[in-house]
Amino acid sequence: MSATTTRKAVSLTGTGLHLSFGKHHVLQGVDIQVDAGTTTTVIGPSGSGKSTLLRVLNRLYEPDSGDILLDGRSVLKDNPDELRRRIGMVFQHFNLFPHKTVVENVALGPRKLKGLSKDEAREVALRQLEIVGLTNKADVRPARLSGGQQQRVAIARALAMAPEVMFFDEATSALDPELVKGVLALMADLATEGMTMVVVTHEMGFARNVSDNVLFMDHGVVVETGAPDEIFDDAKSDRLRTFLSQVL
Amino acid sequence: MTWGLAADSLGVVSNHSSHRAHRAVPRAVRLFALALTAALVGVLAVLGLPAPSAQAAPQDSCAPAGLESASAAPVNLAAAEQGGEDRYTTPTTVPVDSIDVGALELLVPGKLSVGTLSDAGPSICVNSKGVFTGFDNELLKAVAEKLGLQIEFNGTEFAGLLSQVANNRFDVGSSSITTTDDRRKTVDFTNGYDFGYFALVAPNGGPVKSFGDLSAATRIAVVQGTVQDDYVVNTLGLDPVKFPDYATAYANLKSGQVDAWVAPSQQAEGAVRDGDGTSIVENTFSVNNFIAWAVGKNKPNLVAALNSGLDAVIADGTYAKLYEDWVPRELPEGWKPGSKAAPEPDLQDIAAVAAANAEKNVPGEATKPKSTLQQLGDTFFNWELYEKSFPELIKVGLVNTLILSVVSGVLGTILGMILAICGISRSRWLRWPARVYTDIFRGLPAVVVILIVGLGIGPVVKGITGNNPYWLGAVALALLAAAYIGEIFRSGIQSVDEGQLEASRAIGFSYRQSMRLVVVPQGVRRVLPALMNQFISLIKDSSLVYFLGLLASQRELFAVGRDLNAQTGNLSPLVAAGIMYLILTIPLTHLVNHIDRRLRTGRPADVQDDPLPVTAVEKG
Repeated sequence: MSATTTRKAVSLTGTGLHLSFGKHHVLQGVDIQVDAGTTTTVIGPSGSGKSTLLRVLNRLYEPDSGDILLDGRSVLKDNPDELRRRIGMVFQHFNLFPHKTVVENVALGPRKLKGLSKDEAREVALRQLEIVGLTNKADVRPARLSGGQQQRVAIARALAMAPEVMFFDEATSALDPELVKGVLALMADLATEGMTMVVVTHEMGFARNVSDNVLFMDHGVVVETGAPDEIFDDAKSDRLRTFLSQVL
Repeated sequence: MTWGLAADSLGVVSNHSSHRAHRAVPRAVRLFALALTAALVGVLAVLGLPAPSAQAAPQDSCAPAGLESASAAPVNLAAAEQGGEDRYTTPTTVPVDSIDVGALELLVPGKLSVGTLSDAGPSICVNSKGVFTGFDNELLKAVAEKLGLQIEFNGTEFAGLLSQVANNRFDVGSSSITTTDDRRKTVDFTNGYDFGYFALVAPNGGPVKSFGDLSAATRIAVVQGTVQDDYVVNTLGLDPVKFPDYATAYANLKSGQVDAWVAPSQQAEGAVRDGDGTSIVENTFSVNNFIAWAVGKNKPNLVAALNSGLDAVIADGTYAKLYEDWVPRELPEGWKPGSKAAPEPDLQDIAAVAAANAEKNVPGEATKPKSTLQQLGDTFFNWELYEKSFPELIKVGLVNTLILSVVSGVLGTILGMILAICGISRSRWLRWPARVYTDIFRGLPAVVVILIVGLGIGPVVKGITGNNPYWLGAVALALLAAAYIGEIFRSGIQSVDEGQLEASRAIGFSYRQSMRLVVVPQGVRRVLPALMNQFISLIKDSSLVYFLGLLASQRELFAVGRDLNAQTGNLSPLVAAGIMYLILTIPLTHLVNHIDRRLRTGRPADVQDDPLPVTAVEKG
């Protein structure tokens, strides 16, 4: 199965990232290295700064200090809108546009940002919807889809921009348990195909089985990082051991 | 692709049945609206029934009554205040044909723009064809014809008339205006064309029988800003109840809300009918305060021209004819119309005609006063008047009400959207002006804004509006509505989940694109009900444009109803106007409720093209 046609795999690096909201120091010097075509999972307790890290990496929040490199080149001086076109993002609550149909949700970016005609954009969108198995829902509004279906549309929407990197921010946390599987399978497919991905998740099974690298965060710092085996079977810090004992 | 869709599609199936339940709702709404309308009509019918067959055609106080209505000088005349010398009447005038019409200080060359009232027949009123007429206006028409001028009448409020003349809204004020020294500070006057008694109207058999009976305990009705107002306050030293127009003042006397009414005699005679249970108990007169047309200060040519025209229509007998047709009364001792050089009008012996009329109309059976209930039934539910009112209400009033409310609604929505976008802007230079504007316009009563815009801005932009306040009225309504609509939009936009902006920006849209494509469209959808409510307010507020003075063809529902009310002295036309408003607003109200419900529950599942649901995103 092929999620997308041709895509260059790129690496993503964040170094010494700091961010404060007022007095609240959310990121306190985070380093992250995601090699081209690999999947890094970010785990950690709530409020540890995982979701914020994603938003700093695509500059939805501008970091106070540190650097972000995409494909080895710093992107802090680029237009942030252009950077975000290269990084797809999927949210916990899907954030589909309720006033547009499913296919319009997917086609909006290609149509308005890549200058495709209405028909071309629809074509692209339908192709993405086929990949997530929702062609038959193309012309309904998101409100009439189940959570799992909505999240698959959200993934299609992100992929329609042909991103070089994908972010998943707790993409399955808001789903009913029986719907989680389909979304995780889709994410696993993407990883297998060599998409560079950063996945914030509470699904420890996914972290262990699919990712190449796991990053454990707590209180705005990276406490431990390593291959899934090292993190899950050979935890070095007390904080990670405590966390794992709570979630496993 | 291996994972199936079975679990997901279950949810959709269950949605179908729940949507079907909602589809019954619109039908229920329609039934309810229908029932309500039926109930309303039923109530009217029941209340109206006792009266109709007995009703004579309501007397029209805005048609010339002829010598039938001739009256001698009042016998119940209070000791006349003899003024001193006549200081203002000009000794003579120039001949009409020597007047340079081009040199007159007119707002529009060749056209005389007149501010008048609609409710003070037989002197000034709107007749059943919706035309401004009455003795004063017919005479002015004759004068204008002598001068070779076109003439245009605009209805307005007496309280605002003199300031509108002074501010060049009109060339001439024609409204049985009694000249006083106070008024001469604001405007200039022509020579007198009529004279005025003040009448004291009181309920039959009540304690008030003469001006001497008025005391601080008496509730005395006057029209605000009239000579009677001035007379009661300054001469009698009492505190009157002030009304905006004669019809309202008299309606209050009839219903017992006030104890007495001091009015110009012509208006009192026009208003008091058999069976009203009221009568003119005393008259008073001041020879120094004749009735004249008001002209703006520093327009000597116009005043002189009108004086010449007046002398000319007296000389050729037009004056006498109009006078006998409309207001045949015995001229008071020592007074005649026009300049001092003008001939006496060639009138019949009105005192004798009046005496003869009085003999003919031997008081057979005195009309019995009607019971209060009958009186109310007649006043509010006169079928003939409904029949008469509705065609004009629909042809003139409804059209103008819709034009005013739709135009101001569209303008207000555009301006409101701009205000909302400024209001949520990150720049304080946009945010603060929007805030200040909103605070000011939401804090002012609608009528104040309409008067300020209409009378304050009117003279400045008269080059564009041609001194026609109709569109200014629409703009004033739009300015008001914009303040509310801006807040509605702002709250709608700000209620859109932040995740929407975040998702849009994550795709790569700029802030501006995100607002335009994603956030604003959703915000607008969810405030549709509030917008509709605002539109309903506009329909109602459009009645206030009336204050600016409208041509007969520009009158909206309220003005039409009110003029018919003034013309007939009966409140039925106003009730009819009220029904017209309800016909507009009740269905809209229910449409609002329907949209609101749809927004909350979504549309039936089998309709695909759904512009509305906004509840898609689960809240985390």
